[in-house]
Amino acid sequence: MAEIQLVDVSFSYPGAAGATLEQLSLQVADGQAHALLGASGAGKTTLLNLLSGLLSPDQGRILFDGQDVSRLPGRERHVAQVFQFPVLYESMSVRANLQFPLTNARVDVDVARQRIDHVSAELGIESLLERRAGQLGLFEKQLVAVAKALVRPDVALVLLDEPLTAVEPKIKWQLRQVLRKAQADLGVTMIYVTHDQTEALTFADQVSILTAQGILQSGTPQQIYEAPAHEFVGHFVGSPGMNFVPAALFDQPQAERLGFRPEWAALVSPSAAALQGAVSRVRAQGSQGGEHVGLTTIVTQHGEVHVHGPLRFAVGHEVGIQVGRYVLFRAQQQIGTGRWHAE
Amino acid sequence: MLNKPYSNRAWLGVLPVVLVVAFSAVVPLITVVNYSVQDILDFNSRFFVGLEWYQQTLNDPRFIDAFLRQLGFSASVLLLEIPLGILVAKGIPRQSRMTPFLLVFLAVPLLIPWNVVGTIWQIFARADIGLLGVTLNAAGFAYNYTAEPLHAWLTLLAMDVWHWTSLVALLSFAGLTSIPQPYYQAAELDGASRWQIFRHVELPRLRGVLIIAVLLRLMDSFMIYTEPFVLTGGGPGNTTTFLSQHLATMAVGQFDLGPAAAFSVIYFLFILLFCWLFYTSVMVRDETP
Repeated sequence: MAEIQLVDVSFSYPGAAGATLEQLSLQVADGQAHALLGASGAGKTTLLNLLSGLLSPDQGRILFDGQDVSRLPGRERHVAQVFQFPVLYESMSVRANLQFPLTNARVDVDVARQRIDHVSAELGIESLLERRAGQLGLFEKQLVAVAKALVRPDVALVLLDEPLTAVEPKIKWQLRQVLRKAQADLGVTMIYVTHDQTEALTFADQVSILTAQGILQSGTPQQIYEAPAHEFVGHFVGSPGMNFVPAALFDQPQAERLGFRPEWAALVSPSAAALQGAVSRVRAQGSQGGEHVGLTTIVTQHGEVHVHGPLRFAVGHEVGIQVGRYVLFRAQQQIGTGRWHAE
Repeated sequence: MLNKPYSNRAWLGVLPVVLVVAFSAVVPLITVVNYSVQDILDFNSRFFVGLEWYQQTLNDPRFIDAFLRQLGFSASVLLLEIPLGILVAKGIPRQSRMTPFLLVFLAVPLLIPWNVVGTIWQIFARADIGLLGVTLNAAGFAYNYTAEPLHAWLTLLAMDVWHWTSLVALLSFAGLTSIPQPYYQAAELDGASRWQIFRHVELPRLRGVLIIAVLLRLMDSFMIYTEPFVLTGGGPGNTTTFLSQHLATMAVGQFDLGPAAAFSVIYFLFILLFCWLFYTSVMVRDETP
């Protein structure tokens, strides 16, 4: 377990036109579950490979507990990784799989046995220990792969590369819970790479948003959601993302744009709001207190706006949009947040 | 499942294959079985002799010798070609501009007709004019494969290794390239040594292709005829006479059709038995947890 720091790390693939990662800095506290959220092509895999030691940074330093490991191979960094599909020694038993990294790390036999028992109890795989890894189902295999990553007592960092991709949606949630609990109980530093925001926001203590421009924001899931540091973050996180309209509409001269989440606004009569438009789509998402709620899409002269809440207006209706909470942006950077009245 | 349509018309689709297999394999095989239980003197006089030819063949010291030689040859060939083929496959770079050329180069021996391979080695190894034979003699080894049984054996083995290792190498290479990169990466992070990576990552994933390679080489080497026939003609003496050559001498040379047919059936059953033993033993291992 270690505190992980990336200091001004740059990397470009040989022969590539531009740098894949440029001047990237990141800090992950000891024992933290940290999610790296980014779209495809943002350099997530490259960053993982830099952390696991498969690649070395062109510039900058990677520090584990203050120690520079940038040039060390993966095995000397004590990093473990869980991949998109379960990677196991399929001809060995599950116990032998868990034993394998321990034996190579010269862990004492008794300590190793305790560790295997502890981790497999944590993940609920005790009954699988004597079975051959190749015979397990996909979900069980991935659990064993997680166990193998967690089993080393000296593991500094566990990397998870979209570990739920191969798992069917129904079980995803279950595996995420197990993973989250094991992480918290064992106090392992974890970096979880994903393009799925639900996964990132529900799994992690801290989330970093990675784009081709670098890390746009690091913060708790709540910070990321409620106070995005960059317009991209507001847009990327949330389903649908944040709405953006000119700040001038709301008398905010210091800002260029104003952003609000779909559930931070309410639909009122057109005369009562600064922003008006016609309802173009309505999507019901259930009911609350006897009233249908869902997502209403309104076409305004500043583009489409999504509002989440009671469905009181049909398609074609002229409505006003009353914004409760908001985030202000200038040159795409956040410059403040605020609220006008109760939502 | 009650409403499952039941129709026998699909059997019609199998009919062409049944006919082809019948005329190419089953009918000739039954003919051979028919010969093996009769003593044929000429077209008009033949006698039913039961299993006499089988008893005679199984008790024939020349058959037993040829059979033991055959076992020795097949075992040596497998022990040499399988590890060597894997080693060669490990040596082929995965993604290099040279890779396609290397693969084609490796495939060349597989494209040469068997009697040509025999002829190439027959000349190559000759002690008087062959490059290999002359070089060995010049280096101080009294090498002569036409006179020394050991030399004849080594030359035969070298020829077979030269001819067929490529097959194992190409199959293994295909197997190796199908291993996803994360397996190597995970092993690296687990602190696995190169041997452990080979033993626990590569070998289990090569299993399928290696089973195919062993089966192909086992059957082929057990039936080998042309190359030793051209290279040594079974000599010196009978020291490199394998089953197929012994059979050819009986059937074509001496025209002992009855015993030759019994021999053929025994020969066929042994090949079948070995392949079956090998295949079931690996498959049974697969199912045990």
